[in-house]
Order: sequence, then structure tokens, then C-alpha cells
Amino acid sequence: MSTSEITTVAAGSGEEPARPAAGPPRAARRKSRRRGRMPLRARLRRDWPLLLMTLPAGLLLLVFHYLPTIGNVVAFQDYNPYAGDSALEALLYSNWIGFGNFKTLFGDPAFWGALENTLTITAFQLVFFFPLPIALAILVNSVLSGKVRSFIQTVVYLPHFFSWVLVITFFVQMLGGAGLLSQELRQAGVTPPNIMSNPDTFIVLVTAEAVWKDAGWGMIVFLAALSTIDPNLYESAAVDGAGRWRRTWHITLPGLRPVIVLLLILRLGDALSVGFEQYLLQRDAVGRGAAEVLDTFVYHQSIATGNYGFGAAAGLFKAAVGLVLILAANRFAHMIGERGLISRS
Amino acid sequence: MTPPLAGAATNRRRFLGLTGLGAVAIAGGGMLSACGEEAGTSGNATQTDKLAGVVPNQGAMPAGLPAPDVPGTPPLASGYTAYPTSLIDAISEKPGTSGKEISAMTPAWGPAPPGLGSNSYLAAVNAELGTPINFSIQDGITYADKLNAMLGARDVPELLCIPEWEVSKLPRFADAAAALFEDLTDYLAGDKVNAYPMLATLPTAAWRTSIWNQRLMAIPNPTGDPFPLALFYRKDLFDALGLTYPKTIDELYQLAKQVTDSKKGVWATSDMFLMVQSYYKSPGSKTGWRLKADGTPEHKYETPEFKQAVEFMAKMYKDGLVHPDLVASRGADAKDLFAAGKILFMQDGIGAWQGMQAEQQKIKKDFNIQPVPLFSAAGGDPLAHGDWEPINWTFIKKGLGKERVEELLRIVNWCSAPFGTQEWMLRENGLEGKHFTDPAAPAKTDLGFKEIANQYFFVSGRTPVVFPTPETPNYVKDLMAYNNATVKYLETNPWEGIKIDFPASYNAQLVPTEDKITDMLRGRRPLSDLDGIVSEWRSGGGNEARDLLAKARSDAGK
Repeated sequence: MSTSEITTVAAGSGEEPARPAAGPPRAARRKSRRRGRMPLRARLRRDWPLLLMTLPAGLLLLVFHYLPTIGNVVAFQDYNPYAGDSALEALLYSNWIGFGNFKTLFGDPAFWGALENTLTITAFQLVFFFPLPIALAILVNSVLSGKVRSFIQTVVYLPHFFSWVLVITFFVQMLGGAGLLSQELRQAGVTPPNIMSNPDTFIVLVTAEAVWKDAGWGMIVFLAALSTIDPNLYESAAVDGAGRWRRTWHITLPGLRPVIVLLLILRLGDALSVGFEQYLLQRDAVGRGAAEVLDTFVYHQSIATGNYGFGAAAGLFKAAVGLVLILAANRFAHMIGERGLISRS
Repeated sequence: MTPPLAGAATNRRRFLGLTGLGAVAIAGGGMLSACGEEAGTSGNATQTDKLAGVVPNQGAMPAGLPAPDVPGTPPLASGYTAYPTSLIDAISEKPGTSGKEISAMTPAWGPAPPGLGSNSYLAAVNAELGTPINFSIQDGITYADKLNAMLGARDVPELLCIPEWEVSKLPRFADAAAALFEDLTDYLAGDKVNAYPMLATLPTAAWRTSIWNQRLMAIPNPTGDPFPLALFYRKDLFDALGLTYPKTIDELYQLAKQVTDSKKGVWATSDMFLMVQSYYKSPGSKTGWRLKADGTPEHKYETPEFKQAVEFMAKMYKDGLVHPDLVASRGADAKDLFAAGKILFMQDGIGAWQGMQAEQQKIKKDFNIQPVPLFSAAGGDPLAHGDWEPINWTFIKKGLGKERVEELLRIVNWCSAPFGTQEWMLRENGLEGKHFTDPAAPAKTDLGFKEIANQYFFVSGRTPVVFPTPETPNYVKDLMAYNNATVKYLETNPWEGIKIDFPASYNAQLVPTEDKITDMLRGRRPLSDLDGIVSEWRSGGGNEARDLLAKARSDAGK
């Protein structure tokens, strides 16, 4: 996921956003390409070093993504890992139950509760989390001293490497009922507010934790995109009398637009995954009403009880929704004139 | 077959409609109810105490073992306050004959010990065995994950340790056992066990728990301590405050209030709900069942005792007596807070006692933790939850051939020698002068702590004893006093000798229902919701489990 993200981003931001040309020229281009196509053998002879270089990545994809995809058939089975004489035979000899797992899944009110929580959190974070790395990147980019800039960068993206247990412990130590803030307030005779175990504000809390952990990390991609914007544009704009805000609005943001759209599409594809550990760790604190998301639901209903078929069904549902969202968002990106994730030829 | 759209139809249609999937959902809904059946097993019960010709006969302990200093009420382990002056040599022949390395997997908590080739303890024991064991040591906290992956891939080592508390996390374990592990019945049943005299000393009840699919599948490592949990208190801090441990539930509440001083960062306790359930005498057999007067099974959720326990614990949370760190995150460690005196009560396993005492008294000289003696909040005698299931089982990989299986059994037999033998001393404490210095009080050296992590213990069984630990001289007497006082009140299990595999629907209900009860404890749901929660639980799998339990008893002729 992350590798492909970065390569596409690099490719996407390397050139000026290619505005899809109007109808006729594109058709002409396609025609000319078809005419100029070399025979396969010749192309192989020419491109073999490139193909060779993609081979390891191709193998990785095959072994760790495409082959395991076959395992999705257990979504339609009452899967028993010990049926037959080998792991492969277990796939063949488990009972086929059609859409039974999906029926159980869609018939469970807890599933819809978890889905609702997940979508609410995704929507909330799209508004309150997604723009922050962009703002942060613009801010850091405006710092002139290279030393100060790299120091700030290191500090803000370091938390990305902390595990969720650490991040939450840190929040508990700072904002929890026995944490720094509460103890200071108590010494001052004020009853401390309940921050860490209030289900009503839980969504703000998890977003704050996610921002603290990952905003700096998300900034990196945008910084890379910022560095590709031609400084001449700023200079000529400044000469024409554009102030700081106008330059940001008319040069920086349009320059970032392809990357923003791309990451937005990828984020939408992941709309049904908002994290796992973070919610599992704080589940008892705020209750399942607030903290049950799809991934924790699947964990408790499938992994913990060994009902793998059920988990696979939930996974398939997530993947299908993700695919639809990605395609829809990509379509939308094309409509507003962006390259999006999957370019049209 | 109810249509899948019944329960949440409005919400879902609205949502799917938003994303343009409404048509798919409606079409899919019809299709789903047209074909498809529910997944999951419906559970089963195996009656282990009536099976003949499967369990090994009980043999005698080796002659010349010392008598215990503090006898335990059987089958409670007995205690020794000193090491015997002379150790007996229980096994004279080398058990390993082939010399071919044995693969094994065991759990360890904390840093993993060095492996074969850089561990003098392993080298010493392996030299005695004749055939070396190569251990793959896995993190005890995530052991079930590792086991699940390993069993699913059908790639198990020759000797595999499976702790008792992990078995319920291994779905379809009976199927897994039949597919992956050697049936030991023909090697050990009846008098055949006499070829392995140390294994013959293990109690029959422990062997009975090792039966899956009517066959003997593993070697048990019996427990001498049936209580999973105790409520500990910081006796040193209580003494300093001029207080003593609570003897009634009201005293417990008053003391908790009294010692809580949030300005100083001190709260009364960790979550103690399981112990509170025990104080209120809520049932605990087979995940919380007992028999009503008319003989039908009744789950704790359905009892007034459980309701009282919920009310009490909810009051503890409401009044802010539980440490906020423990309320806020599952990642917080109650042991650290207890050791630091930030909480004065802690619910934990008995096993936490000795280790914490030994560690903390180095830092704070008068550090002293003690269990609160069990009391009843409901009148009459107290009720102790617990069972005699073994600590772990050792399984042997299937299809190794008769000779290898016999060699492995001889090795396990060697590792199973009881306290008072040379074999036990080497297995438990390593080499004199290297892993410990004084054989009369074998405190482990730094090398001993580093290299010894119960490797061989977890692939064997032995008659359990409470043996002395030089750094905590009072421990044996304190523990034995607590255990002997508590064991009288151990709950009788109506399903003793019956192995129950609960239905999948019942297992799937466990966490959601516990979540709802947690909501009540933490004050997010009114206590009056309990009846509704219980009726959901009944229809969602509770009644199915009740029928299984009732049938298991009538099939067993009880």
C-alpha cells in the first residue's frame, strides 16, 4: 500500500497536473500510438531490463496478495481449518453454506452499529484530520532555515513510530484522571474534567491521538510535492504584487492539488478502516457504543471465536465498499479535471 | 429464516441509499435469505470420568522423598519450608537414545532466554537427557495467536506446550487435536504407563482432563492451586495507616474510600469485579454456571447474586475508587501501580505474589503484599471460584513413529520427576555453582535468571509442591495458610469430569455481553438494563448452552 502510494505520488507530482485535453486530440493520440506499436518480441527485447526489475515486486504481489485472495472463498463456507489432510484440502472440504455468513453479518444490529461508528469517525477525521498535514507542510515549508526545518520535521514525525499502546499511555499520563493536568487542577482545587473516558467526546479524543501520532508523517508527502513547485512562479507573482495569502491560494494549493486528490481517493478507499489497536485499548474506557468499529467487531466475532468464514465475509464487504468508493472518487476526480489514482489513457 | 433486513432495515437502507447501493442491498437481501445457512458448531460434551481403558493407572511416588512441612488439603499442593538435605536419583538411564534433536515450543513471559548453543542450562539438561531439545520460546502474552497460526498451518513441533487458559481461544480444538497430535492412549493407558514411572505418579483426575475425542491426547501438568485469582492488599501501607484488611463487603467499601486520596495520586484499587462476584457468591463453574434447586442449569447473569456484585462494583467506579489510568486504557499496568503504592488493592493471579514480593523488597525493605482472606457478602460460608484443570498440556506431534514417540515420552518422563529428586533440582535450578550457589537455599544467580525460563517445565508434568524460595522465606507459610483456608470453600462443579465445548453462538455472545455489563459497571448504562441484557443473552446463545449443559448431565447419569 505505502510503496505504491509513494511511487504514484512521485509520478503524479513530478509533472504539472495534466489537464485532460479535449476530445479530438486525445483520440488522435490514441490512434497514433496504435499505429506506432512495435511487435511484442521487439518490445520484450527492448524492455527486458525494466521487466526484470519489476519481477521481485511482481512476485511479492503474487505470493502475498493474489494467492491469499483465493482464501476469500471461506466467506462462503463454514470453514474448518482441520477438515481434510492439509491446509489446502481444508478449503475444499469445509461445508459450503452459500451466503450464510453474509446473512449473519447483515442481520446483526451490532454490525450496523460498528459500521455507523466507523463511517462517523472517517467523516469526522476527513474534516478535522486530513487538512492538518497539508497546513503543517505549508507551514514547515515556509521556514527558511534548513536546520530549524529539519529539526521541526523530525520532532513532528517521530510519534509515528510509537506504538498505539505508547501513544495512549502518553495521553493517559497527560490528560487522564491521574495525569498531569488532572493533578494540577486538583492541587488548585478544581474538579478535573473527564477527558479519557467520556464516550460523548471520544471521537475528538481519538482524532487528537491520531493527529498527534500521524500528522507529521502525513506531512512528508506534501513537503515532497511542495518542493516540485517552480519557485519562479512565486517570484513572478510577487513581482506582480501578490501577497503571501494570494500566493498560497493561487500557486501553492493548485500545485498540491493532484497529491491532495490522490490521497483523498486512497483515504476514501480505506473509509471502513479507522484503526484497530487504538479502539481496542480504549474500548472499556468508553464502552462499545462509542468504540466499536468494524475492525474490532470482526476481531471479537471472528478471530476471537475462530469463526473465520464470518470474518472473511466482513472483509469482503469492506473490500467491496472500498473499491466502489475508490472508483467513484476517481471518477469524480476525472470530472473535476484531475488525474486521480487511475489515469485514463 | 428471518430476512436479514428485519432488524436494522431503515438505517441500512438509508445508508446504502446514500451511497447508491440500495438496489444491490434489496436484491442481495432476497438472495441472501434464499440460500445460505448459519455457520458455527453447536457444541458437544465429552464425559471423561466414565471412559474405561483410556486413563493411565496411578503409580507410587519414588521412594525416599521427604515429607512436606506444611501439608495441603489434597489435591492442594503441599509446602516445603526447606530443601531436602539429600536428593534421590529417580531415573538412572539416559532417556534419549537417538540423539536426534527434538523440536519444542513453550511460552515465556519477559525476555526470552538464550537458545541452544549459547545457554549452559540447556546444555546441562540436554546432556542428561541424551537427546537435545531445541526450544522455540514464544511470548506468553500472544501465545494463542502463535498457536492459532501454527495449528491452522498444521506445522507443529514434536513437543508442544498448550496452556490451559489458551485452549478456549483455539477454535475447533478437538478437530485440531485429532488431526495434528499423536494419540497417546496405546502408549500410556492402564498399566502401560509403568514404563514411565514419573508420569505414573500424576493424579488420575489430571489425566482425565487430557482426553479429547474419547482418547488420551496429552500429558497434563497438574496444578496444585485451584484458585485463579485473589485480592491482594499492601499490608505494609495498611499497617502504616493503622488499618487492617476488610472482613466484610462494607468494610471493603469503607476502606477503599478511606485510602483513596486523589490529590496524592492514590486510588483504592484495580478492577476487582471477578473477586466481588466471588464475595457475593455468584456461580463460576464452566464460565459461570450452577444448578438451580430443581436441577436445571442457571448462569450467573440470571442470579440475584450477580446483580448485587454489579451494583457494588458500579458503586466503586462511580465513587472514583478505581485508578483512572486503569479506567482509561487496557494498556495500563495494575502491577506497576500496586508496586508503586498508587493503588492499595489489586485483583491478580496468585502467581503474581511471590515474584512481586521478591522484586519489590529489594527496593523497599518492608514491602509486604498479602491476599485478603476470602469472605462472604451474602451470609454463610464464602465461595471460592476455581478448578483443578492442569496448568498446561504437552502434545506430541502425530506420525513420528512408535520409536520416536516412546523416546519423547521417556524424555517427558525425565522432566516430570518430582521435588526431592536430582532431576527436579537440575530442571528447576540448573547447575550448582553456576545457576545457583547454595544447594540448601538455591537462590538463582544472574545467569540463572537469564537462562532458566521454565523451558522443560512446560513440556512435562510433575506432582506440584510449594517449594521454598530463599529470598521470600515467609511465602510458603503465607501461601499455604491462604490456600488451606480457602480450599474448603471451593465451589463444587456440577460438570466435574465432563468436557464441554460450548456452541459457537454462545462463545460469540461472550464479549458483547461482557461489554454491556462493563457499560453498566462504568455507569454508561443504568443497572435496570440488566434484565434486557440477560434476555438478549438467553436468546442469542445462552439457552442453547443451558440445554447442552443439562443434556451433558443427564447423559452422564448425574
